[in-house]
Amino acid sequence: MSLYETVFIARQDLTAEDVDALSNKLAKIITDANGKVEKEYWGLRNLSYKVKKNSRGHYILLKINSEYPVVAELKRVMGFNEDVIRSATFLVEAHKDESYMFQSANAKDYKAGKIATRKEPSKLDLVIDQFQFDA
Amino acid sequence: MLQNKNNNNNNNFNNNNNTENEEGFVKVSLVNQSVFIRKKKTCPLRDIDISEIDYKNLKLLNKFISERGKIIPSRITNVEIKKQRAIAQAIKRARNLALISPIKKDATSN
Repeated sequence: MSLYETVFIARQDLTAEDVDALSNKLAKIITDANGKVEKEYWGLRNLSYKVKKNSRGHYILLKINSEYPVVAELKRVMGFNEDVIRSATFLVEAHKDESYMFQSANAKDYKAGKIATRKEPSKLDLVIDQFQFDA
Repeated sequence: MLQNKNNNNNNNFNNNNNTENEEGFVKVSLVNQSVFIRKKKTCPLRDIDISEIDYKNLKLLNKFISERGKIIPSRITNVEIKKQRAIAQAIKRARNLALISPIKKDATSN
């Protein structure tokens, strides 16, 4: 068993229910093969460039603990699903509890603007604020 | 940070009249003369674990790209080599996922 992270971008005109249905469908591929999967929804973000004529997209992160052939099957299914406009899978050493862009576990729980009041800046943020390189 | 650098110089030259003049240089007074010595720069990420350098941490990555979206070399930022490689990989991953633009810096993400 290895740890993987899969990020995929769903089309902008899907509703929250559609996004949840899509991510559950993809997560089911992992759980059917005795893998473990956790979901993170990052919200409807602006893309920094257009991807397949979309300028915004729903970002979903799947934190996977599974064998590689199962992940390969997940990649194959995402490849021909037209609702998934971009995806990437990375092998990681450890899963973090909540990533920096965590909004909610499911798309239907997401409320815009929630992240602004979520928590005070961490120690990491304070270190990051100290330096500035480009003029 | 500044104290550490002054302390290092004190150890080397056994005196305590160091003053800050120009950026990156320290004036050190020896017995009959005063010289300028280039300060040893340290990695800005020395307090950050390498596992924190991640394609998801856009706030960190945006510090290491120029206005044109290029990765700033470690020659300028003084990031140590392992962390510079991690930053470069993370920025490339974030570009593929349309989180970072490859041609310009996103003004709002700071």
